[in-house]
Amino acid sequence: MSAESVPVDKNHEPVKPKKRGISELAKREERLAYILLIPTLVILFIIAFYPLGSVFYNSLTDRQFASAQEPQFVGLANYSNLLSVTLIELEPEIDDAGQIIRDPETGEIDYPPVVSVLPREPRRYREFTQFGLFGSQYVIGATDPEFMRAIYDTMAFTVITVILETVLGLGIALVVNSEFKGRGMMRVVMLVPWAIPTAVSSRMWEWMFKDTRAGFFNILFQRLGFGSGQIPFLVDQSWQLPAMIAIDVWKTTPFMALLLLAGLQLIPSDLYEAADVDGAGKLRQFWSVTLPLLRPTLAVALVFRTLDAVRVFDLFQIVLAQSRYSMASFAYYRLIDAQQMGYSSAASVVIFFIIFVFAILYIRMLGVSND
Amino acid sequence: MTRTRRELVGRALFWAVIVVIAIYLLFPFYWAINSSLKTEAQLQMTPGTFVPRAPGTDDISITLQNYSAVFQNDRFLTGLKNSVIVAVSTTIISLVVGSFAAFALGKLRFRGKQPSLYLILSMTMFPQVAVLTGLYAVIATLQIPAIPSMILSYMLFTLPFTTWVMTSFFEGLPNELMLSAQVDGATPFQTFYMILLPLTLPALVTTGLLAFINAWNEYLFALTFTTIEPDARTVPVAIALFTGQISFQEPFGEIMAAAIVVTIPLLVLVLIFQKKIMAGLTAGAVKG
Repeated sequence: MSAESVPVDKNHEPVKPKKRGISELAKREERLAYILLIPTLVILFIIAFYPLGSVFYNSLTDRQFASAQEPQFVGLANYSNLLSVTLIELEPEIDDAGQIIRDPETGEIDYPPVVSVLPREPRRYREFTQFGLFGSQYVIGATDPEFMRAIYDTMAFTVITVILETVLGLGIALVVNSEFKGRGMMRVVMLVPWAIPTAVSSRMWEWMFKDTRAGFFNILFQRLGFGSGQIPFLVDQSWQLPAMIAIDVWKTTPFMALLLLAGLQLIPSDLYEAADVDGAGKLRQFWSVTLPLLRPTLAVALVFRTLDAVRVFDLFQIVLAQSRYSMASFAYYRLIDAQQMGYSSAASVVIFFIIFVFAILYIRMLGVSND
Repeated sequence: MTRTRRELVGRALFWAVIVVIAIYLLFPFYWAINSSLKTEAQLQMTPGTFVPRAPGTDDISITLQNYSAVFQNDRFLTGLKNSVIVAVSTTIISLVVGSFAAFALGKLRFRGKQPSLYLILSMTMFPQVAVLTGLYAVIATLQIPAIPSMILSYMLFTLPFTTWVMTSFFEGLPNELMLSAQVDGATPFQTFYMILLPLTLPALVTTGLLAFINAWNEYLFALTFTTIEPDARTVPVAIALFTGQISFQEPFGEIMAAAIVVTIPLLVLVLIFQKKIMAGLTAGAVKG
């Protein structure tokens, strides 16, 4: 009876039902997996890979948006326009007697106007900045000083905000990590700045930075005996970047703190008990227990924050508009206002590569810390 | 004696720090509320007051005129409607599509799984601005209206995130569940939507909330794609471009009122779902 129940094929050879069943099942499983993945991959293709490809391609053309003109292939011209820089030493002006001309009032050396020094062919360079070093005066010229400034500002913004947010965030996380009444409430409070749209918080801060004493910061600064109460924070070149940093730090520090808090709670408490028994003080415990164990969380939080800061857009576009750019708002205005699709694409590619480099650097660092 | 005194000082210091942090985090919000309750004349008073006070006298005087102006502002109301449509659609589509992909990545065996996983993970770091011009061209060529194009383009950040978090959630579910369902004769897809999906409800809520908040707050794409279609503007764009009905100057009282109106639903969400939101934030970051 049992022998008859074994399935036999036409050649009277027993088949192995189990194995065939599994491979059949595995095939079905694989097919299902592909079907389930297709929608995600198709969507990502339409909105990410294809546009990214066309951005790379367009960056090599002089394409104008909404223009009937056929775009021309221009090679790397957009990139050299964006990124060309030159450093030139300024020669002091000399009078007929061979003497260096000095300003009669201040006694400072007169330099020729930089326009006359900077190259005009094949591309016109404009002044980016001047500085003095070892008694000589130098000028840095760039073919697009606005983009150079955008890169510089975005990088400065990124480095300073990430450092401040990490330090403050860690401080807040350590405080909130201890047991106290109202800890749950505190966490809700910490989610507030994160949950408010950046567009909204930018306008809230724009109002606080108003250039009269109707603005909170002018009231505060004047009470502290600093400034006349008329500081134009958002117009004054030297105040613009600090203002941007202040807004971003307010908005993102709590987010950083919440991530680090989650990391802190993964540290087993018996480690601290052991350290207590060994007589280690609080500070010692922080350096030898907390910080090393928090490192993976800290690293991931740093990656997220840095990549976010490099592509900052909302804040700069809303508060400073065209008076000062971040890299992203530069690309936006080139596209929308100037309709220079090719040029804007090249700027986007530059941003993409900068972010890419940061990502690789961080992955390397993380890889090392994992070992 | 000295010991208890030191403890007391320590506790006082601790609470002082907590209060300072709370004030720092809440003050801009308070200042916006304060300003939203002032008239134009009160807003121009120097120095500005910390509670709305009548000019001349020091009596507290509160007005709701900014709020009524905001609720009569058609652009703002259309913005609210658009934002709800865009954020809700984005959330639902990315949850459905994302959990399909996540089930495949988390529970099924197939070739090319690792590369797909890395591809999607790398997408979570993708800079939006890098595809801006390309996406704008795609949308202009296909002549997609602004609202569907926002929904589609927001997938760029909601879909990889949803897929990633849901994948790790599916991985955590015991394999026996699938096996026993298969023994009972269920197809893998039936197993997915009848047995596994209900179990992932908490993860769906968490990722859905974050997708919703991110879509609600998005600005770059919304601003770009509604350039020639102002009726499709979402709330962040409406607030960024807010102009008064009459006054030529920027009406900051109304802007602040609008800001408060937009923020309150988000705060309610945060209050109700704070645990879920925290779980989602840390799942996205700590596991990334």
